Amino acid sequence: MNRGAGNACVSRQGFSQGAWRAGRAVLLLIAAAATLFPFYAMVVLSFKPTGPVSFPTALLPWPFSTEGYEQVLGGRSVVQWTINTLIYSLVSVVGVLFLASLAGYAFAKKRFPGRNTMFWSFLAMLMVPYHITVIPTFILVSKLDGVDTYWGMILPTLANAQAVFLMRQFIASMPDALFEAARLDGASEWRVYTSIVLPLIKPILATLGVFVFLWHWNDFLWPLIIGTSDDMRTLTTGIASLQQESVPLNVVLAGSVVAFVPIFAAYLVGQKFFTEGVTMSGIKG
Amino acid sequence: MSATPIRPAAPRRRSRVLRPEARTGLLFVLPCLLLFLAFRFGPAVAGAALSFTDYPLGADPTWAGLKNFERLVNDPTFWQALKVTVVYTVLAVPASVLVSLGMAMLTRRTSAMTRLYRSVFFLPVVTSLVLAGVVFTWVFSEGGPWSRAMGAIGLPGGSWLADSVLVLPALVIVSVWSRFGYGMLILIARLQDMPVELEEAAMTDGAGPWQRFRHIVLPHLRPALFFVAIIETTVSFQVFDTVYVMTGGGPVRSSYTLVYALFDQGFRYFDLGYASAIGVALFVMTMVVAVIQRLTLGRES
Repeated sequence: MNRGAGNACVSRQGFSQGAWRAGRAVLLLIAAAATLFPFYAMVVLSFKPTGPVSFPTALLPWPFSTEGYEQVLGGRSVVQWTINTLIYSLVSVVGVLFLASLAGYAFAKKRFPGRNTMFWSFLAMLMVPYHITVIPTFILVSKLDGVDTYWGMILPTLANAQAVFLMRQFIASMPDALFEAARLDGASEWRVYTSIVLPLIKPILATLGVFVFLWHWNDFLWPLIIGTSDDMRTLTTGIASLQQESVPLNVVLAGSVVAFVPIFAAYLVGQKFFTEGVTMSGIKG
Repeated sequence: MSATPIRPAAPRRRSRVLRPEARTGLLFVLPCLLLFLAFRFGPAVAGAALSFTDYPLGADPTWAGLKNFERLVNDPTFWQALKVTVVYTVLAVPASVLVSLGMAMLTRRTSAMTRLYRSVFFLPVVTSLVLAGVVFTWVFSEGGPWSRAMGAIGLPGGSWLADSVLVLPALVIVSVWSRFGYGMLILIARLQDMPVELEEAAMTDGAGPWQRFRHIVLPHLRPALFFVAIIETTVSFQVFDTVYVMTGGGPVRSSYTLVYALFDQGFRYFDLGYASAIGVALFVMTMVVAVIQRLTLGRES
């Protein structure tokens, strides 16, 4: 179909079509180079010996040194931050997916008093910027002695209105008969949820899971406020703290590469889920 | 319960005791509901309430009436934060939408090549803004790539992050870099819904590329462009990570945004009442922008 349109163009306005193609190729190359440049700089500068770097020679891969990595991985902190980030991200993914699918299924397929009021008030919370609730949430969590704890960091993020909304929409589009049949067989509601609902919503679990994971992995303000001791930092707040403490650039960037590699690897493998997850949910955390 | 259908008393019992379906429904929603009450609804109400109190961290909040808001309107720092946020948004949203549109047009025809380009352009979207901030701090540093490039073409060549006027454009560049891949994908999805015949017909009528873009593609894209603009406005209004990492609000508060002000007042000066008032101001502004956008959107469609 595209080729047909292209041929029509060539016969009609051959020259301008050729010029347009060449211009397009050049523009795309420039845009790709500009997009990738910061990644290249991050990696190449992380492999420099400690000391001042001068542009443009800094962009050459030599002098090559793993000093930055030795320093950043030698200190216990970055390993601890990686563990913290993994805990924060993975526990949240499991929690959000479980709670949101349970609630989404109930909102979509069960009739109970207050259902619509509840669902719409969940939705209304999407309109309230996160930053307005952040101070009271911090006060509440600190009153419960949750500052510098995993549960204090994770629990408030489990109230995810977007996830509930997407789950409800997805499950509502599935025929009731799927769920009725199992219930007539005498399966308990919990069995229906685990053996019928969960397998049916696998595609959205994967997409939403990737999105929630990414959001937590890159989250900054909340971990910054709630994880104040060095032991409770995540990779984002840890790397920001390195930068603020004037740690040498190669060391900060080595830490950045450590934080980036898992996301990059996951992106290479499951790009489809990333693009779907982010476009479906709208906003990056 | 299984015996209820044959009992004549069943309907009355149903009205007093919840039906099993309703019980399950409520039970399944309950965990989410409790979390929402504790961490979303509660804090939203409390956030508004706290803005009327004097609340230094560690002490108890005391009623302060409108004191925080009086202080807000008389605080030059707040007006600076408001100005910075608005200028940043006004620069970032059109820049982001335009670059998204350009890249969507360049990669709209699906082939192995454009697919590769799309995944390159989307990579910054999944990258943490903290990491981006660390690298771009170097990119914009004195004598770094950006200052050299700008110096070479006759633009101001020092560190843009140290310049009270250029610091916002520098932050906008990072924002566009990090966001355009998202807008691009939304626009491509919309472009793929467009009937090919429309453009082909225009072509046979002798319409050039610009005319086809202006009169066929652009009107078709309009709703998607509005959607991207709304998302980008929300994101720009709440800019924080890059400001924290790259400028700390400086130089001399030239990049002191509203969310940064909220963080600064709440978690550096521990003035939680005043920080909550900034939060309420942020909320009101978000609402105003949402209403304006809804009105323009409504008129357009």
